[in-house]
Amino acid sequence: MALNLGTRTSPIPISGGVHVSHLGKSYGSNKVLSDVNLKMQEGEVVSIIGPSGAGKSTFLRCLNYLEVPTEGTITIGGARVCADDSRPDKASLDHLRKVTGMVFQSFNLFPHLTVMENITLPQRKVLRASKDRAEEVAQSLLKRVGLPEKAKEYPARLSGGQQQRIAIARALALSPSVMLFDEPTSALDPEIGLEVLAVMRDLADEGMTMLVVTHEMHFARDVSDRIMVMGNGGVLETGPSEQVMSDPSHERTRQFLKAVLDR
Amino acid sequence: MSFLNDWIAWLPQLGPGVAISLQLTGMALFFGFPFGLLLAAMAESRLATLRWISFLIVEVGRGLPALVLLYLLYFSLPDMGVILTSMTTAVIALSWNAGAYASEYFRAGLSAVPRGQKEAALTSGFSRWTGFRLVILPQALRISTPPLAGLAVLVFQGSALAFVIAVPELMSKAYEISSMTFRYLSVFSLTAIVYGLITWLFLALVKLLEVRLSRHLV
Repeated sequence: MALNLGTRTSPIPISGGVHVSHLGKSYGSNKVLSDVNLKMQEGEVVSIIGPSGAGKSTFLRCLNYLEVPTEGTITIGGARVCADDSRPDKASLDHLRKVTGMVFQSFNLFPHLTVMENITLPQRKVLRASKDRAEEVAQSLLKRVGLPEKAKEYPARLSGGQQQRIAIARALALSPSVMLFDEPTSALDPEIGLEVLAVMRDLADEGMTMLVVTHEMHFARDVSDRIMVMGNGGVLETGPSEQVMSDPSHERTRQFLKAVLDR
Repeated sequence: MSFLNDWIAWLPQLGPGVAISLQLTGMALFFGFPFGLLLAAMAESRLATLRWISFLIVEVGRGLPALVLLYLLYFSLPDMGVILTSMTTAVIALSWNAGAYASEYFRAGLSAVPRGQKEAALTSGFSRWTGFRLVILPQALRISTPPLAGLAVLVFQGSALAFVIAVPELMSKAYEISSMTFRYLSVFSLTAIVYGLITWLFLALVKLLEVRLSRHLV
């Protein structure tokens, strides 16, 4: 498995990064996202934090067009989509979804397929991989998320934490250039959440580019390189994790962190 | 036990009727269920015209008793210059009726699949069609199977109506025998048993299928 996509501190600007400029979304006159900018190097991990309704999930879902942005440009792993255009052509959209892997809060494994089929089906249909090849990849991914013995199980037989780890394996199977996590541990109890966070930590250490919407402040501080704080549909501030956590520049950030950390 | 001797004597005559009934039912389901799925997909279409066409077909198919639909087609089509056999007419009427009801069951099944499944299919790189076919449809079908099986039984029983337009199915054979022997109660008791047995056998098969479709739910 070629998951090691380079070192995290690579100084060379690589095509694998993420570049989002002036992204915005509105429903009629209701603006839910405005002027979001983000530049990520390949191998970088960025956490997005902020209060509910800040637009964190909407922003993340705009990146693979689960939500359609109304302005701005998205460039990921060689795919470039302009929201200013009337409608992105099918080829760019397909490409965008291929280079982004997504992990949902509610796992969304395919319940009628076994764990093995969940991981092999996208490879077979999207990458046109052979059955043997797809199963080989799946088996090594299962080992990586610590569940090699679950290949033949159906998702309903697994715990929430196990399902989420399988969901991560499924997303990784297409070798995406960036992994998007939408509150991956919010549906799990704190203890079970740890096993998912451990897998994500490993992934980060191996150089995966990751964008994580999260309420896990320890993860945000310890694992991510930078933190982006969102509020009210826009970016309040973006900075190195340590700095944002200990010395935020925006009053709203201070307020939010105080509320979260004083719990 | 003289009635048993009668029954045994009549069975060879009823046999071809059973075959026609099953054939009629099979064809009504063969055309009706996919038609219902198409109607369900049209009802969810972005195009208003398609939604309206689906609405009209469904409302007529569900609004009219199958018997009325059967008569309407049987007597109106020749006036429009379309000459069909009574069997073909019966297939069209029963398919329409079955398709209209089936479309509602398909819609219920499709809308019961969580939204996250569609999103997971899209983010897994599937096209809309591939995602629908491999992710959404199998889950929707499992949900729709029990009501569709019930509908299949109703269509089988409804196939007896084709008797009125001279399709030589089970009911018409039974009528034929009874009008020659005047043993109405005996003939129709036997007919009832035949209908009942086939229905029961079919439902037993569906039960097996349901277990198979639900094995992932443990």
